[in-house]
Amino acid sequence: MSIISVTDLHKHFKVNKHRSGLAGAVRGLFSTESTLVRAVDGISFSVEPGELVGYLGPNGAGKSTTLKMLTGLLVPTSGQLLSNGHVPWRERKTYVARIGAVFGQRTTLWWDLPVIESLELLQYVYKVPRERFRHNLAEFRELLELGPFLNTPVRSLSLGQRMRADICAALLHEPDLLFLDEPTIGLDVVAKERIRQFIRHINRERGVTVLLTTHDLSDVEKLCERVMIIDHGRLLYDGQLAALRDRFGGKRELVVDFAEDEGAAADLSVDGATIIERDGPRVVYSFGRETISASGLISLLSARYRIRDLSVREPDIEDTIRRIYEERLLEKPSN
Amino acid sequence: MRHTLDIYRRLILVQIRSQLQYRVSFLLDTLATGFQVFISFITLALILQRFDGIGGWTLSEVAFLYGMVEVAFGTMDMLFSGFDPANFGRQVRQGAFDQLLLRPISATLQVFGSQFIIRRVGRIAQGLAVLTFAIVSLNLNWTPAKLVYLPIVIASLVCFFGGLFMIGATITFWTVDSIEVINIFTYGGSEMMSYPMHIYPDWVRRFFTYILPAIFLNYAPALYFLGKPDPLGLPPFAAFLAPVAGIATLLAALAFWQYGMRHYQSTGT
Ligand SMILES: Nc1ncnc2c1ncn2[C@@H]1O[C@H](COP(=O)(O)OP(=O)(O)OP(=O)(O)O)[C@@H](O)[C@H]1O
Ligand SMILES: [Mg+2]
Repeated sequence: MSIISVTDLHKHFKVNKHRSGLAGAVRGLFSTESTLVRAVDGISFSVEPGELVGYLGPNGAGKSTTLKMLTGLLVPTSGQLLSNGHVPWRERKTYVARIGAVFGQRTTLWWDLPVIESLELLQYVYKVPRERFRHNLAEFRELLELGPFLNTPVRSLSLGQRMRADICAALLHEPDLLFLDEPTIGLDVVAKERIRQFIRHINRERGVTVLLTTHDLSDVEKLCERVMIIDHGRLLYDGQLAALRDRFGGKRELVVDFAEDEGAAADLSVDGATIIERDGPRVVYSFGRETISASGLISLLSARYRIRDLSVREPDIEDTIRRIYEERLLEKPSN
Repeated sequence: MRHTLDIYRRLILVQIRSQLQYRVSFLLDTLATGFQVFISFITLALILQRFDGIGGWTLSEVAFLYGMVEVAFGTMDMLFSGFDPANFGRQVRQGAFDQLLLRPISATLQVFGSQFIIRRVGRIAQGLAVLTFAIVSLNLNWTPAKLVYLPIVIASLVCFFGGLFMIGATITFWTVDSIEVINIFTYGGSEMMSYPMHIYPDWVRRFFTYILPAIFLNYAPALYFLGKPDPLGLPPFAAFLAPVAGIATLLAALAFWQYGMRHYQSTGT
């Protein structure tokens, strides 16, 4: 039994055309001229209990809109959506009692209250038994290192601290499902890593089903086995991350600094890789996963030339998404 | 329902506690709020002395009306602060309202509990002072009926003003550009209701009779308490319509609010 099942989900926004000036504002009152934004445009998928799924896509793809429908904040324009046995917006209160949600740019905590008081209020809101609350708080406090700022008012927390507090708040009532919209946005490497470990922990140890959006490919690489990629409100890919990389991973790049005396005259070309940039002793090779491995390429080069330094560049997520988008256009033209 | 009320109580308590923490600033704020009301009343009093009353009403009689409206508006402002349109509109724009919908309790109740500003007691206190001054200096023929009806009128005014706040808050689901216009109705409306209605031009009075039933909440009851003849020719029972008008306004506002929330969920603005 799937925990989430979504069929042909649509969400369209009517956006009124803004005119400038007073005359424009007055005319805007009467005219109904508007454009239709198809934020989510026919998406179907299902998620099994215990999965940890990455929901990816470029800016404006429709990720947040999907999450808002999944959390009951928005009513779809059309389509079916059943999550944890409920139609989210129809049975809002019973549904949200069993889910947790963090929308990265916002906080669920009370701005002027110390973190701990917010958490205690949430204990009553969700009717968490005292014992469970204490037990969970102790565990999360340790994993998320909340200790140093539990008594600090939320308004004086750093972004990373606030995010950790918010994630803790979303889980104290032991939800079955967790929705995270860009949980690592704006955080430093250490904070990101701590949050990733925590998400992995509650997914593995507690079996919480997680759906998360992010623009950070390392979040996905470290957390998700399965990813969904959307753009313009349509699902472009739904499958294993590994398969995604094999199919669409794109070319990696090897940046090599040759020793000066290799000379500009030398050929420097290698089978299986193409030179895409050449700037004095620095040469950038582009190579596909299927033709040659990074280590293969490096040993080939170092056997022939003297190398001072080198580094491998992985294709970033935006790049992968763009490629996938293009591939799909080739395969199946949108109707 | 009991759970919901328990949460409301906790939300309010937590805010009271955190506001009382800064005792000095709390005291100063309260005094300042009260003082503002006091100054505007003194200004009014000076003007009234100069012109020998307003529309045939003496200073004490106007003070009675003024005090009643102030006490009611101050009380409403404590209970309904969460719906203050400017503040609520900001919450909607910043997505804070979404956070309320993510919790498994009534969103309406959470808005009620989202803002409790105790320094507003300053306004209530000054309103009470003005009202007391009026009652002491006037020779009102207190009957048991009047004694019972005065708090009822004030409670009805609270419902009425609360309804206006709620309607204003609901409008911000559609547009936040209209805050200024909304404020004219809420704050401006309460200001106008502090003076006897017969001093206003016909169309204003008609508006406050048929569109917003304000006249039944301040002017008509005041005539009854003060034992003054009615220059407007309202029906004799008009003085006793206050609870009807107050509750009707609040119920209409609640219905509009519910409708607004449904609209909000289907558009996501
Ligand atoms: N309330 C709204 N009214 C009108 N248009 C909206 C609304 N919410 C979203 N949109 C539009 O819908 C589209 C999808 O937006 P959405 O926020 O879901 O994107 P996203 O994938 O979360 O992007 P990002 O990565 O930037 O967060 C965008 O074109 C956006 O402008
Ligand atoms: Mg988004």
